[in-house]
Amino acid sequence: MELESYRIATDFFEGPLDLLLHLIRKNRVSILDVRLADITSEYLAYLERMEGINPSRESDFLITAATLIAIKARTLLPRTDLPGEESPEKALISRLFEHDQLQKISRLLQEMEETEITLWRREVIEESFSSREYAIAEVSAFQLSELFFSLVRRKEKEEFLTVAAKSYSIEAKRQEILALLDKEGFLDFSAWIWTLGSLEEVVVSFFTLLELVKRHRVVAVQKELFGPISLWQQAAAN
Amino acid sequence: MDLDTIERKAAFVEAVLFVAKEPVDPQRLMAYLRCADAGEFERILNLLEEREGGGARATVLKRAGGGLSLVTAPGWHEQLKDFFSIRTTSRLSLASLETLAIVAYRQPVTLAEISDLRGVNSAGPVKNLLQKKLIRLAGRKKVPGLPALYATTREFLLAFGLGDLAELPSLEELTELFEEKEQPSLFHQE
Repeated sequence: MELESYRIATDFFEGPLDLLLHLIRKNRVSILDVRLADITSEYLAYLERMEGINPSRESDFLITAATLIAIKARTLLPRTDLPGEESPEKALISRLFEHDQLQKISRLLQEMEETEITLWRREVIEESFSSREYAIAEVSAFQLSELFFSLVRRKEKEEFLTVAAKSYSIEAKRQEILALLDKEGFLDFSAWIWTLGSLEEVVVSFFTLLELVKRHRVVAVQKELFGPISLWQQAAAN
Repeated sequence: MDLDTIERKAAFVEAVLFVAKEPVDPQRLMAYLRCADAGEFERILNLLEEREGGGARATVLKRAGGGLSLVTAPGWHEQLKDFFSIRTTSRLSLASLETLAIVAYRQPVTLAEISDLRGVNSAGPVKNLLQKKLIRLAGRKKVPGLPALYATTREFLLAFGLGDLAELPSLEELTELFEEKEQPSLFHQE
């Protein structure tokens, strides 16, 4: 039974500061007045209920236990405070104080979230609609790169009869892609890249695409892994 | 239609906010409506806020994230969820809320600073908040290792109904706030 209750407690006390604050509140003292030496034994009692300490998981609890014992030892010994040295008790109490404030702020944010969550904005509905209708995955930059290199390999195998001395700029490609998207609404990237004349143009087009995705001008979607990638123009934010 | 009366101006503001996907900059609306001063614009907004709908209202004016927008009136949450077949409304975990609180008050802040304040490793909550776009990368700290700095986003202000960061209560106000309320215990029964 004891073990059981401790298990629940560790899940609950995410860190040693949580546990300490709980003990302080249980004793009904304010953080600034608490004598840490007094709650050390209670803190250690919690740790003792643990069977087999997992150092990677419980190390934070153990460090704090060591600090508490050190604080208690200091209170038993004649004072040998060096000037300029911060006492471990003060340091721990100021951390506890900050942690307490943090919990208050978190609760406040939680209340604010609770209110705001019931007031619907435009995006909320759009998201739920699109996720139900398409269930599409946004393509990561890595997937885009993978697609790109497979396209490049295919292009390389082709034999070109003429070499056009033409250079491409990202800016021109950007306008070309956006114009195509304006006209068609969407663009099948994999098919479109085939219509390009040279490897250089493919490379420039691909960088342009990455740039557009990065700037949130277009959304790249792919319904399945290695499937065709389609582009949509993203509604202008601002 | 001419924007010659205050009623029409209010209706026009409503039309703009109805169409706009993102909150609209009030300065831009003021300039467009040629408002003489902030007071006149405020009267327009008040008119918009006071619209009568026989006791039932569809939307209300929301001032958050430095802009104006229309949101559904309080009370429609359950029916809207039902209509759109949305089963759950996701809320932030306590760990994420704590992390968000630190970022909100200490920004820009590094992961190490967040973990130190919380007393536990906070990589998980930070990742979660980044995905939800409630926080963003805000450069790198000029210390060894150049750790990433995090700051809150406008999405954060919108999600919590804040006009700007200054609306977050100060630490003094926070203490008073919690002294007034009987502090509910976060922990299980004692």
